Amino acid sequence: MSQEKTEAIVIRQAEFSESSRVVTLFSKDFGKLSVLAKGVKRLKGPFDAGIDLLSRCHVVFIRRSSGALGILTEARLAARFQPPGPDLMSLYGGYYLAELLNGLTEDDDPAPLVYELAVRSLDGLMSDVQDSLSVIVEFEIGILRLSGHLGDLTECTACGTSFLEPSGAHTDGSPAPGRLVHWVSQGGLLCPSCCRPEYRKRSMSAGSVAALRQLGRMDRQMSARVRLTKQQIRECHQFAVSAIAHVLGRRPKTLRYLDIG
Amino acid sequence: MSPDRPGSPDHPCGPSVSRLIEQFSRLPGIGRKSAERLTNHILNCPAGDALALADAIRTVREQVRRCSVCFTLTEDDVCRICRDPRRDRTSVCVVEQPRDVVALESSGAFQGVYHVLGGRIAPLEGIGPEDLTIDQLIRRVRQDGVRELVMATNPTVDGDGTALFITNLLQNDDVTITRLARGIASGSVLEFANREMLADALRGRREL
Ligand SMILES: [Zn+2]
Ligand SMILES: [Zn+2]
Repeated sequence: MSQEKTEAIVIRQAEFSESSRVVTLFSKDFGKLSVLAKGVKRLKGPFDAGIDLLSRCHVVFIRRSSGALGILTEARLAARFQPPGPDLMSLYGGYYLAELLNGLTEDDDPAPLVYELAVRSLDGLMSDVQDSLSVIVEFEIGILRLSGHLGDLTECTACGTSFLEPSGAHTDGSPAPGRLVHWVSQGGLLCPSCCRPEYRKRSMSAGSVAALRQLGRMDRQMSARVRLTKQQIRECHQFAVSAIAHVLGRRPKTLRYLDIG
Repeated sequence: MSPDRPGSPDHPCGPSVSRLIEQFSRLPGIGRKSAERLTNHILNCPAGDALALADAIRTVREQVRRCSVCFTLTEDDVCRICRDPRRDRTSVCVVEQPRDVVALESSGAFQGVYHVLGGRIAPLEGIGPEDLTIDQLIRRVRQDGVRELVMATNPTVDGDGTALFITNLLQNDDVTITRLARGIASGSVLEFANREMLADALRGRREL
């Protein structure tokens, strides 16, 4: 038994008893963890108003050995998730983000970069200047990259042809023309000559692939400057969803709330 | 064999005792020990008292159903509040659960009627709008001349989201939608309110 202190995002809550809940946190220092929050539903308790979905808080918890549920002893609110209304897209983006954090990470596996990405994405969803769709797609690609599920996007997974080499008039380093195809089970892309007919519905334009690569690089300054077209957002999102569904073994259930073509 | 030490799956006093312990321990806030204590009580109290309890449980489950107008719990087709001619039918307070109606009624501050959603939209738990009485609420607003909706879902991400979802559905209807204020309790002291309560209170301030 040891007492730990960290910062965390609430990604799931489950009723435990009349006054208590099991809370799943995605924490900065310990990754995903589930703790019992006793008396969390009482008005006056050690938890402030900190324990709500997608709230970011400073927490203290007692860690127990052998996979037993930890006990939350303190939670101080750092930021509540308050997406700007009246559009529900940012709110639903937040739910989706929580589902991906829960599904694509393991218990007790510290992932500070994923935490940083999640905080930045939640901030993005709350801002009324950032486009929530771009924030969502950036998060999808980012978490795929950080959890090792994003393949090499610079060459054909089957034949190794580089997509970056100038071909014909493309001397500026932009990808070769022709639509590339997502090979989901390998996490990579196929060139037009390696593409099999059954994969064709998962094709992407060269521009979308370039956007994907840029997002996957996760360079903050860079991605702040990436301005994606609607089509690129849609294609990057479709790519991400296929990859995520492959890892989870199912489509994320909160996806049906997100209206992305 | 004494009934003082019940508890094991195959209870020495017989399977009916184990079954009752098992049933009690499924109730909220009742652990194994309390379930055993309650079972002992049932075995030792006058038979009439025990059967009255059993009968009360059966009756409540058979008699109580959802009000056909507002979906709160009632023993009649239409609940007492919906039938009350003194209540203002043009003002509807939207809550998640029947227990919220009970809580708001105890304040005595609301003269309108209610609509119980039966929960909140909780995408992470797989609860969607189709699982609630949202369609019925929209129909009520459009058919029964409702002028004001007071959104009294819980002040949580899910509760706020549910209120916003309904508000969006009604954006072209002639109905005023308000949200329950939140913040500092009357009779409390500012310096003891936490940061979140103070922020809420400031956001929800009104003209005097
Ligand atoms: Zn190829
Ligand atoms: Zn009623």
